[in-house]
Amino acid sequence: MDLPRRGLPPTADAGPSGQDVTVALLGQALLSCAADRQSGALRVYGEPGGTVHVVDGGVAGIDTPGAPGPDVVLLRSGRVPEPGWQDTFTVAAADGRMGAELVRRGLIGSGQLEVVLRAALADSIFALMSGQVEECRMESVAVPSLLPLDPPADPAWLLAEGMRRLRVLASMPNPVRHDRDRVMRGHRAPPVGSALGGGQDGILALANGRRTARDMGFALGSGVYALTLEFARMREAGLLTVSSRRTVTRESPRDRAPAGEPAPVSDTPAPGAAGAGPAGQPAELPRRRKAAGGQSRRSQPGSGQPGSSSALLRLLRPGSVPGPEIPGPETGQK
Amino acid sequence: MTAGARAAAVIDVGTGMVVRAAGEAGTDLPAAAASMADEARSATGSLGPGRGGGDLDEITVTTTARIHLTKVLEFRQGDALLLFVDFDRALTNQALAGLQVGELTPALLA
Repeated sequence: MDLPRRGLPPTADAGPSGQDVTVALLGQALLSCAADRQSGALRVYGEPGGTVHVVDGGVAGIDTPGAPGPDVVLLRSGRVPEPGWQDTFTVAAADGRMGAELVRRGLIGSGQLEVVLRAALADSIFALMSGQVEECRMESVAVPSLLPLDPPADPAWLLAEGMRRLRVLASMPNPVRHDRDRVMRGHRAPPVGSALGGGQDGILALANGRRTARDMGFALGSGVYALTLEFARMREAGLLTVSSRRTVTRESPRDRAPAGEPAPVSDTPAPGAAGAGPAGQPAELPRRRKAAGGQSRRSQPGSGQPGSSSALLRLLRPGSVPGPEIPGPETGQK
Repeated sequence: MTAGARAAAVIDVGTGMVVRAAGEAGTDLPAAAASMADEARSATGSLGPGRGGGDLDEITVTTTARIHLTKVLEFRQGDALLLFVDFDRALTNQALAGLQVGELTPALLA
């Protein structure tokens, strides 16, 4: 029986699908914000829903329970150690200096932070576009965000990247559904402790039949889309099996997140908690607060077009005379 | 700028996304980025899990007109970033270009 495949473009001669409507609603709302150079919070109602932080028409951050935000990525991937994060949070979160303070303390490079913010934005827009959007409503009141991208990303670039991802998945004969397919170790998975590299060990350690790519994204601090592609490759190699049914297996210590990594119980965004709380309220692994319409909290602006970082160090320095910046990628496949 | 450089981009290997780009518009960077990401992944796979010969550092593709230099910027736990540079071969000293790009890469993530 065919299950409805959210996140995949419609088949050839079908009418407008939920996917089309979702993309149109979101695209229209974001492009309209850009055209009027609006600032505020764009509430996206639906599944997974979320909040898009808009600054001068650009996208500075997206909070959605559909994909991990930059705070989760930074902490759970180990890019920023938790003690350093907490100290920084205490002194800088309340007045929106979190990113600058992380860089100032040498916990992460500014270029690396920009990459993380941009990647998290792209992952979040993918989560929104592959879900179902019922309504978008712009509120001109700014909602505080913990790690904003500054300058914010061009919505056209972001939408194009989201579309590219949907097209890549649609072109696969048997794509993994990031929000419903759960993975287990496959018949060719090596014994526990073998080093596969490339992040596959971390995936196998958490592949207990209960986690989707989205769940694992929160657990590992990795992008949901990247994990979805990796699941497909690992299934191909016999390292994983994928099922749309939740498999109940006995939880062994191996199934739990490795020491020093997040506890598996919080794979999925938990209601309540963290991020940009008041100063002095250290964020223990910030999580989104789910609000009405499936929205959640968290946010932050990132930077604009994929062209900054001093136009890639003035196109790789010596002599300088940089070429024009290339506008945001419009197309491409993987 | 480095002689002969036409365009450059930072590419996220996991997604094939161009994270940043600069240089001549018109270069089909997104498509090139996606294939370079695939290439880097296969090259890494061919090194084997033990990495007896070390980690992937650089890939150079030379055609009659171009030199494509891809340098690994960061490799961690499944996430990797590449710097991809498209050079005009007629204007480029390949060895020098490789050296200059190598010297600049640390500044990109700093």
